[in-house]
Formats: sequence, structure tokens, C-alpha cells
Amino acid sequence: MASLPKAGPDQAFQEHVADGRLWLQYCDDCGEAVFMPRILCPHCSSLSLEWRPVSGRGTVHTLTVLHRRSRPGEPEKINHAIVLVDLDEGPRMMSHLPGTAPEDIRIGMRVRARFEGEDGARAVVFDREEGAA
Amino acid sequence: MSTANGSSLRGGAAIVGVGTAGLGEAPGFNAMDIQALAVREALDDAGLKLSDVDGIFCANMSHTFPVISTIEYLGIQPRWIDGTNTGGSSFVAHAMAATLALQAGLCDVALICYGATMRSGAGRMVPATEQPVYEVPHKPRYPMTAYAMSAARHMAQFGTTREQLAEVAVSARLWARKNPQAFERGPLSIDDVLGARMVMEPLTVRDCCLLTDGAGAVVMTRADRARDLRKTPAYFLGGGVASYNRAVSEMPDLTSTAAKDSGERAYAMAGMKPSDMDVLQLYDAFTINVILFLEDLGFCPKGEGGAFVSGGRIAPGGELPVNTNGGGLSFCHPGMYGVFTLIEATRQLRGEAGDRQVSDVETVLCHGNGITLSHQATAIFGTQATL
Repeated sequence: MASLPKAGPDQAFQEHVADGRLWLQYCDDCGEAVFMPRILCPHCSSLSLEWRPVSGRGTVHTLTVLHRRSRPGEPEKINHAIVLVDLDEGPRMMSHLPGTAPEDIRIGMRVRARFEGEDGARAVVFDREEGAA
Repeated sequence: MSTANGSSLRGGAAIVGVGTAGLGEAPGFNAMDIQALAVREALDDAGLKLSDVDGIFCANMSHTFPVISTIEYLGIQPRWIDGTNTGGSSFVAHAMAATLALQAGLCDVALICYGATMRSGAGRMVPATEQPVYEVPHKPRYPMTAYAMSAARHMAQFGTTREQLAEVAVSARLWARKNPQAFERGPLSIDDVLGARMVMEPLTVRDCCLLTDGAGAVVMTRADRARDLRKTPAYFLGGGVASYNRAVSEMPDLTSTAAKDSGERAYAMAGMKPSDMDVLQLYDAFTINVILFLEDLGFCPKGEGGAFVSGGRIAPGGELPVNTNGGGLSFCHPGMYGVFTLIEATRQLRGEAGDRQVSDVETVLCHGNGITLSHQATAIFGTQATL
């Protein structure tokens, strides 16, 4: 029977996030960074993955803005931008920019990760990097 | 004898019957009800009986075990059962799987079927309950978010315009206006598409497929039997499938789909190339799909799909007829559309398509897309002359 690592990949990712740390898996064999968390490397099938901190810096690869129809009692439409961010370390993740107006987000914009949400349900979100165009 | 590219399947089976039911709105009926009506129509079309069906291929989003529920409802006891669910592309992939099962003698009469009543039921697209856990916290809307992200990236990378996306919707509508069974048949201009309600940038509601009820069924047999049945057979010439990812955030390249691989596999099996295709049925859940698939299936270079569809090239009277029934954008789209590409291909090959009939059709390429640009299936069909 195959032996299990210390913690499941999703659990390990969430434990780091709960401590305010953005850590990703790195493959000991091929060196690639991996996201979403996995038990094996999708690049080379190695089981030797270890958690390492990453910079949290990245670039907006694409975005879309959901135009929500206002419901009765709501004064105005609320638009919600969803992005894919390419982390400098390689992996891509879906996210959003809670502090940035949808019309100010551009493909190619530099962004920086932070965490949002309650304990147990934290998500990686991004802010526009200071001085970024 | 088996061959490395599967070409032993070429011409080995044919579509011999097609049927539809409940297209548009079918209030008071459930998915299994209208699916059964489509199945009966397809069998009647072929001159076969339900008791002749001994192989079944089926997928849907309303049942956890779609093919088993279908067997029970229809009261059949098939000896070959395939419930592979790859999303809306399933049925195009099933055409190849059915050919394989027929050729292997695992069944003699293969039934491919689908039905859904989301419009009359929930009144909205009901996505799969299980969605990518690292995407969900950011509140995407499935499946639309993935396609909007691909479209935005295509525009940024290649200069594709919203007008070019709109041209796809207008072309589909022009075909639908020739199809009495199409759900949306009113006039539609590029300005109408651009001015329609923005849903998810850069896609307006007119860049998005319909949400209708509807069912479709296809019956296949081996080629030798097909020749003795009631209708002109639509022979399976080649097929291919490909998939790299479920979630859009895991997609290797937002502007290139696995259709490149599924298409190459289908062309290799058929011994054909894009320029041999007379008519295309491309799974148009959103306008960007058609641009992506024209590129990935080799009809124009990557990045040039927007320019390619301009000037009515894929509309009636254009150089390359695409989605001659009006497609998912204007004909019908009951959550999964793939089976309707097979049905329209058959009608075009038989010369049964009425006002929308393309002249001298010898080959039709069907392309199915599943989930969020996640699974691609291509199948090529042809007349007796192409064997």
C-alpha cells in the first residue's frame, strides 16, 4: 500500500493560508511549482513535492466582469471582476481584486496576493501592486 | 485489423436514424419523457424498433446515473452500456465509441440519446454540482466565466473584436431563420448583439447560447446493415477526442483548445483534411467557441478566427457553411448540445434540410465541446461516395 504524506494537499494548503502564508508545492525532481495542490507532480508524476513560500506577485492573464442585474431594493448594479493571475513562480490561479474597481483592472497588470475571508474559508485574492500601470 | 490511427473504424458504421422532441419549451414533461419521444422518432426514422436496440450511449446533468435511468425508462436490456460523461461533447465522442462497439460485435443497434428540461424546470442553466474548489470562492458563473475569459484573452492577444464575435451570432441567426424548428428566428444585426444586455464582459446575452428544453437521439448500425435500412446512411469516417483540464484556471492556453488534437485524430482516421469538409457543426455555447474551433480544427491560422468569420463567410451563402440548423445560439441548447450536431450532419448528408440545405454535401464535420473548454470531440461523417 502506498504511504500517505503528513497531510492531504488541500489541508496543507489551507493550513498555510490560515497562518497568512501563500505556499505552493514544488517538485523535487523537475523543479516545477504546482497549483492546484496535488499528491503528485502533473509535470513529471513525481511523488516528491514539498511546500515552499512564494512571492505572491503575479500578472493578470485575463479577466471578465460579471454584470449582475439589480434586484428589487438594490440601488444600482454591482459588477464583479474575476481574473486569472499568473504567479511569477509559474502557476495560474482564479481570483478577484476586492479593493480594485473592475474598470481599473487590465490584462498584464501587476498584482500582489493577500488573504480574505473567515478562518476555515480563506481565499487568495489580489491587490494592484503599488506603482503598477 | 487494427491500425495506429484507428482507421479500421473508417466507414464501419453509420447513422441510420435521427429524432428530436420537446425543442424549445416542453412544460409538464421531464427529461426522460422527451428523450423517449426523440428515441422513438429516431427508431421510426431508421425503420427499427426499441427492442432492436442492444447498445446504449447516454449522458446528462440531471441524473447521477443517466444511462441506467434511461435503460429503465425505455424498458430495454442492452448488452453494451456506455455512460461516459464528458459534458456537452459526450454525444460526439459516443459516435466513435458506438462505431467501435458495433465493429467489435458488442452490439448491433446503438442508440445515442439526450434530453433536458432546464428551461421549463429550473428556468436556468443548472451547472454540475461539483465545481473546481479553488475557483468557487471567487464567485465565477459556470460555464460562462470560462468562455468570457477565453474571449477576453483572444481579444487582447490577437486583436479579435466584439464585432467579430457578434458576426458568429448573426450568422447562426441567419441559418436559424431558414429552420422552422429553431427557437429564435427574429432578425438579428451586429448592432443588436453589441447593444444587448452585457452579461459577462466581453459577452452579451446574444453571445451566449439559448437555454431551451429539448431532446435528441441518434441510431447507428454497422455499414452493411445501414445500406438495407430506410434512409440514406451517414457514414462515420473518423473521430477523435482530447482533454487537458477541467477548470479554466488549469487550461494550458486560454486561446487554444484540445480541439487541435481531437481534430487531427479525426482527420487522420478519415484520411481527410479541413478543405475536404463541406459543412461544419461546431458546438457554439458562446460566440468565441466558433472562432476557437475554426482555428484549432485547421480552417484558419491561430488568432485569425475573428477575421475569418467576418463578411458572412460562415452564414448562408458564405464560403463555409457552419451550424446550418442555427446552432446552440439560435436553434436550441438544452444544457448539452452535442447530439444536435450529429442530427444536423445527418440531415445535411441526406439532403433533408429543407430551406437550409447546402448543395452537394458529401462530408460534415461535427465538433463537440464539453464543460468549460475542457473536453473536445470531433467526428466526421460522409455519404456513400466518400467511402
